[in-house]
Amino acid sequence: MNSAFRPVLIAVLALAGFFVPTLLGGSGAVYSACVLIAIFAVMSYGLDTVVSDLGEVSLAHTVFFAVGAYTTALLSTGPGFGPIATLLGALVVVSLIAAALGYITLGLREFAFSLVTYAVAVVGANLAQNWSFLGGSDGLRGIPAFNLSLGPLAFSAKNDQELWPIAYILLLIAIYVVYCFRRSRLGQAAMMSHLNPRLATMSGIDLQRTRLQVFLFSAPVTASAGWLYAYQRAYVSADVLETYFLILMLTAVVLVGRRVLLGPLIGVALIQVQEKFLSFGGYTDKIILGSVLVITLAFLPKGLLGLFQPLTGLFARRPSPVSETRL
Amino acid sequence: MKTITILVAAAISTFALTAAQAQQNPVKVGVIFPLSGGAGPQGQHVTQAIQAMAAIINESGGVMGRPIEILSRDDESTPAVGVSRANDLISAGVSVIIEGWNSPVTLATQPVINRAGILDITAVSKADPILSGEGNPLAIRLNSSNSQDGAVIANYLAKTAKAKRIAFLTQNDAYGNGAQASIEAELKKLGYEYEKVAEEKFPFAQADFRVALTNVKAANPDVTVAINANEGLGLPALIRQAKQSRLQGPFVAAVGTVAPSVVSVAGDAANGLISADIYFPDVEPFASFDANKKFVAKTQEMFKYTPDKFMALGATSLQVWAMAVNELKTLDKEPVAKRIRGGSFKGTVFGDVTFQANGQLQSKHLPFTVEGQKIVMLPASN
Repeated sequence: MNSAFRPVLIAVLALAGFFVPTLLGGSGAVYSACVLIAIFAVMSYGLDTVVSDLGEVSLAHTVFFAVGAYTTALLSTGPGFGPIATLLGALVVVSLIAAALGYITLGLREFAFSLVTYAVAVVGANLAQNWSFLGGSDGLRGIPAFNLSLGPLAFSAKNDQELWPIAYILLLIAIYVVYCFRRSRLGQAAMMSHLNPRLATMSGIDLQRTRLQVFLFSAPVTASAGWLYAYQRAYVSADVLETYFLILMLTAVVLVGRRVLLGPLIGVALIQVQEKFLSFGGYTDKIILGSVLVITLAFLPKGLLGLFQPLTGLFARRPSPVSETRL
Repeated sequence: MKTITILVAAAISTFALTAAQAQQNPVKVGVIFPLSGGAGPQGQHVTQAIQAMAAIINESGGVMGRPIEILSRDDESTPAVGVSRANDLISAGVSVIIEGWNSPVTLATQPVINRAGILDITAVSKADPILSGEGNPLAIRLNSSNSQDGAVIANYLAKTAKAKRIAFLTQNDAYGNGAQASIEAELKKLGYEYEKVAEEKFPFAQADFRVALTNVKAANPDVTVAINANEGLGLPALIRQAKQSRLQGPFVAAVGTVAPSVVSVAGDAANGLISADIYFPDVEPFASFDANKKFVAKTQEMFKYTPDKFMALGATSLQVWAMAVNELKTLDKEPVAKRIRGGSFKGTVFGDVTFQANGQLQSKHLPFTVEGQKIVMLPASN
């Protein structure tokens, strides 16, 4: 594609995406589904960088999601901070927690890394359930509606339709940030340390530092989803640490294919659409979600895109005799 | 002339048809309960009870001359799913949502329903913060609150059992912790001295309590109080395992958790169990209430099932709402909520009822025990 047209095309597609709920009928259920898809996709993008780029399976990302939600709830219901202050607060708190967790897991890889992050998730869930500062089992209530005032500009969102612009902007930012990450030196270093740690070390990449940096990059992305989720639900309780969110994130990351920029978004959208509009009931939906994760991991290592890979050969350009001569 | 006559006739027919359609245009009522998982069977029963009550109301003219249509959703006992289902019903244009088996789900759905400007009636969930006004300033609840229940159990522990060593087996969530806190607060209010010899907490979905029961048995309590709202799976399992572990002293279940289905599933192990409740379909004074007789008959006719307390709460939620709407001739949230909160209603399934100003239905607790797998009333202790 002509490189001059590419940014224009992306801008047009990004703008068109905003009108998806309207094109789908614009009902409250559609807006509600779209807002949740955006929030859960942002949540998954944080995990995507750790799973797809760093090659590790973090089971602690529900904690980062919960930190975003709880910090927002505490700051909005206590001192009465607005959305920008609560977002900054959530990012600061989650960065501190991610730094601590990243430091602890610096030397751990694969199974040990996953196990430690799982233990952190279990500790987090029990803390949220029992610590009165976090509302204990009652959770934190009374989160005000999303209300943003910047000088003469004021924006208030009391329902999902009104919250959609914020959710969509957050989604675009998350996608852009992950896109930039993958083109950055850190993203390249993460991939190299994932695919060939010895080569990465020989190339002067500090593996432990890279892992820590990726963790510090990933956690705020997931926490920002928790931030908006707190406003969307107006109530935060320990259920944000339930395994449902972890399975949702993991499935969304691997379903379409790893390191596919729109993969987590499409993955979350497929899962949410099934659960909301093609639901077979609680039990069956959970069986479907778990089965999709198992099938993808066991039989589709390249995700759904892997199914279409044989077809791509049909459309691939054949090298011309001229280029062969040049080579 | 003939053409004009035909046109006039057509216009009149169209008008009549439109008016009839408006009359028949149903009023949508949203219902959110767990229809799957541990509390699934109970949630299904409550939904059926609401459908039975809707049939009774429709047979007597509906609300504002329109029939009631029930839209039911499964919250899967999960707050996030409950919120999603609430949004779904809001989008479907319901006039009221009757919800609430699990307190955490109710606390999560309350603000969403409130912001949408739809009346929210909590049928079963017990946590005290539900009526705090933070999630919904116009909250209404029919089941007795944790504080009311706490007083009943505290009364039994202090005055009937005279227990000095008390053990708690408590569901670790908004409902369970709130219920235990209420019992302890009421014991304190009575100035009763006791020792809490064991406290075991468990998640809602737990069904294996053997380790917890071993710890409780080792603490040698005079009475064990079990607070478990998982009537489908957890509570019957807990009752059976408590009997197998030969726990000493009376086994007291939290108020309102021992549905007939619990006794049926727990079998002989339920004998000797002590609890209290606010409704029994075939016990006086309920047995003589016309509305209750009609409700019991309708439920048996439609679902071949005798309603329990939870079902009666669901049905009464709809009945009270319909009474308020028919009286005020409006479906608007605020006037209807204000009519119910602090108001009285005659001839409900629970008899003549009154709501407190904070939206809590006033109810009378009746203590009971289980003998030969039958619920047997005990004299009330004062």
